[in-house]
Amino acid sequence: MTGPVSLTTVFPGLVWAMAALALVQVLRRAALWRAGAAASVPWLSGLASLPRRYLVDVHHVVARDGYASRMHAVVAGGMLAASLLTALAILPPLGGFRPYWGVVAAAFGVMAAGSLMVGARRYPVKKPRLSAGRFQILPFLLLAYALGGTLTALLLALGAGGIALPFTLALAAAGGLGLAFEVRHGPMRHAAAGALHLVAHPRPGRFAGRPDTALQPLDLDAPRLGAEMPADFTWNRLLSYDACVSCGRCETACPAFAAGQPLNPKKLIQDLVAGLSPAEPAYAGAPYPGGRDAMGGRGALIELVGPEARIHPDTLWSCTTCRACVEECPMMIEHVDAVVSLRRSQTLELGALPEKAVGPVTELRQAGEAGGRPLAARTDFAAGLDLPVLAPRGRTDVLLWLGEGAYDLRYGRSLRALVRLLRQAGVDFAVLGPEERDTGDLARRLGDEATFQALAKANIATLAARDFGRIVTADPHALHALRNEYPAFGGRYAVMHHTAFLLELIRAGRLAPGRLSDVSVTYHDPCYLARYNGETEAPRAVLDAIGVSRVEMARSGRRAMCCGGGGGAPVSDVPGERRIPDLRMAQAAETGAGIVAVACPSCTAMLEGVPDRKAEIRDIAELLLQAVEAGR
Amino acid sequence: MRIAVLLSAGRHPVSGAPVLPRLEAQAIRLAVGLGEAHEVVGLHAGPDAAAVAEGLGQGLARIEHLTVAAEADPVPALAARLAALAPDLILAGRRGQGGPETGLVPYGLAEALDLPLIPDVIGLAPEAADRLSLDQSLGRGARRRVILGGPVLATVHPDAPAPLAYAYGRARRGAFEPVAVAPVEVSPGLAAEAGALPAIEERPYRRRPKLVKGAPAGGSAAERLKAATGEAGASAGGRLLVQPDPDEAAREILAYLRQVGVLAAPRPTDDPR
Ligand code: SF4
Ligand code: SF4
Repeated sequence: MTGPVSLTTVFPGLVWAMAALALVQVLRRAALWRAGAAASVPWLSGLASLPRRYLVDVHHVVARDGYASRMHAVVAGGMLAASLLTALAILPPLGGFRPYWGVVAAAFGVMAAGSLMVGARRYPVKKPRLSAGRFQILPFLLLAYALGGTLTALLLALGAGGIALPFTLALAAAGGLGLAFEVRHGPMRHAAAGALHLVAHPRPGRFAGRPDTALQPLDLDAPRLGAEMPADFTWNRLLSYDACVSCGRCETACPAFAAGQPLNPKKLIQDLVAGLSPAEPAYAGAPYPGGRDAMGGRGALIELVGPEARIHPDTLWSCTTCRACVEECPMMIEHVDAVVSLRRSQTLELGALPEKAVGPVTELRQAGEAGGRPLAARTDFAAGLDLPVLAPRGRTDVLLWLGEGAYDLRYGRSLRALVRLLRQAGVDFAVLGPEERDTGDLARRLGDEATFQALAKANIATLAARDFGRIVTADPHALHALRNEYPAFGGRYAVMHHTAFLLELIRAGRLAPGRLSDVSVTYHDPCYLARYNGETEAPRAVLDAIGVSRVEMARSGRRAMCCGGGGGAPVSDVPGERRIPDLRMAQAAETGAGIVAVACPSCTAMLEGVPDRKAEIRDIAELLLQAVEAGR
Repeated sequence: MRIAVLLSAGRHPVSGAPVLPRLEAQAIRLAVGLGEAHEVVGLHAGPDAAAVAEGLGQGLARIEHLTVAAEADPVPALAARLAALAPDLILAGRRGQGGPETGLVPYGLAEALDLPLIPDVIGLAPEAADRLSLDQSLGRGARRRVILGGPVLATVHPDAPAPLAYAYGRARRGAFEPVAVAPVEVSPGLAAEAGALPAIEERPYRRRPKLVKGAPAGGSAAERLKAATGEAGASAGGRLLVQPDPDEAAREILAYLRQVGVLAAPRPTDDPR
């Protein structure tokens, strides 16, 4: 016969048992992570900053979906509070104090409300981006634990009990132990792995308020290059994939997924999880578009990418490296790093580049330019303009980095506008002329780290022989490589995007633009400027300075959608059902703006290539030049 | 089957960087495309093996290097090594790229080894009974399939499948094998002849406009296109000689070369006849 007195020990005991079971499940999981490669993790600072990383950085992302944020606060907060309080009741003075159980009941009550919110996202109809499978049981487990807990605590608080208590306790036990059990394979894994992931995050710089977006350099003398199998990832990366809660936010943001190309970042992460885990339950979310059957083996040593493997090569080459998924992921998972690791193995070890990408990458390696064009022809766009070339040991204030776009006839117009603006403002500038090689951005995103490093070293040597104040470039991809990725190879420069530099000239009064008040403009953020470098304000400030009426697209700033031009996607050219730039132009058309302002050669090329385009595509420099000329 | 791919030191046509000639990279792809059951080896005769290191990243696991001085004729060394290797198939580019580019090495080798030479191959496939099927490009999209038993020497045409991607890791794993070369005796007469060659002037290549002979100035666009692509007019108006007598064939060729201005018209005093 169980009376209320002993139950005040049994109930807390249940929570302790839950904790023990959860711990066992985590340890079983951790045994898998140990298959990964070594990583140096700053444990102490990671642990110390865990609360901040969770409450500030994670919350910042979660809060974009208000419902999810409230739901999470109520259900997780309620569960943590209720479980902790119950666990403490193992101390007799607390367990025997009836009002204490009232507080516990209140906490469980909050959790029960949260459990209903969890259920409402899945029943009667599940939100399409969420996964089904084990996740569909989650609301029931939560509700069982919360209701059982509420009732048990209430009965204990009232000193009632008797015949009902064993039933309520059994309900709480079923839910609670079920939740703890789910820590290994089910939805609750995200809580344990997520917390550990925040501590051992491979990019701690993300939490220090700076964009930590540079790809990590690959040691080209390492015995294995890139990730071919799960064991090639570092252990904390394997852990990070286990943190995925299958919320599908990345899927909603992914341009390749929207275009019906065979890529779904959520499924990609889940394939990395399933590839490692010997007994992972079947994936129950949206598949890769194109409906490829699940296939491929399991285990730390299986091949991850291949026509017969878990991840089809087309999936890998569809990614534009736009980082929209990373930006949206509440679990702070680094999808792009995973994609590039897998690509590195494909490219460097197997030479398995997509057929159409072989030509450009070969030209990059052999001629320092993806089109195999003469480096001296890079300045052809400036025929008739005075474009000084910086000789070795020469000196200039501003080194203008032209980038690959200079070879493009259309983009040459933007660069001409920029050069004329610099002349107007009396800037002391020069270009490298035939000494400017490609930054290697394309090669690096396609996994050809060897070619990237060779180009980076050659460019750094060229730059070391010259004296300049800072580099200005109109190409965000070049900007990202020069500013964020060259430092790892010894090249440290002050690099500015042309929009930021032009804004500086306007603010200093060196450019006096007139106002183009009768034009309406919507600005398309380049991924490599907005997400990779956090620069969203300068281009908008320039537009405001020339008085255009500016409308924002539904997705803008750091959450803007990619034009489809990054990550080598245009050269890999994986077929989909739609084209990414068409989708983006349709979004731009929704604003009714007559002009889409761009600030990147890739965006210009991609968006200009959209058929039946209603809006004009103009670089910020072109618009500013027009305003400056109108102001005279 | 054993396949040898001849590799030469080339230069990138635009950047001038030392590269493996594209045709030879295409030859590697044809060779390894036959399947892993076949043994493929690269062969380079020259002063420095590094010049063809890219071959290791583009599909070859092994390159044999015969050290030969830069100016020396590579044919004797290659012929000696190929005779020892006795490959069933020898692949070469139809000409070099940025190096000496004579296009004559395969012919010299075929002669030295007494092998048939199938020029301008764009595809390879194994046939029954150790025979090979080789697809030749005859230009303008025309093809011819030749089926024969080895050993055979074939040169590769630019229309063959594009080279495999360069894999840094594979290049790292691939191996060079130096092979000793018996010193080739250069006869004093030959050396003297080489020394007596007139000084050569080198100028950068400049693309010149292509003159289309006999192109109608007027006419419809279709007519001008026809003239330019040689569907009609002078280039289509050749004579087809089937199994001609060698003397007659030589006379025809000489007449043609004189007609297009490659050879000077015979001066009466020079003519032995
Ligand atoms: S980086 Fe962009 S394209 Fe690649 S998976 Fe993420 S959202 Fe999709
Ligand atoms: S990877 Fe991140 S955003 Fe995508 S489903 Fe998993 S947790 Fe959600």
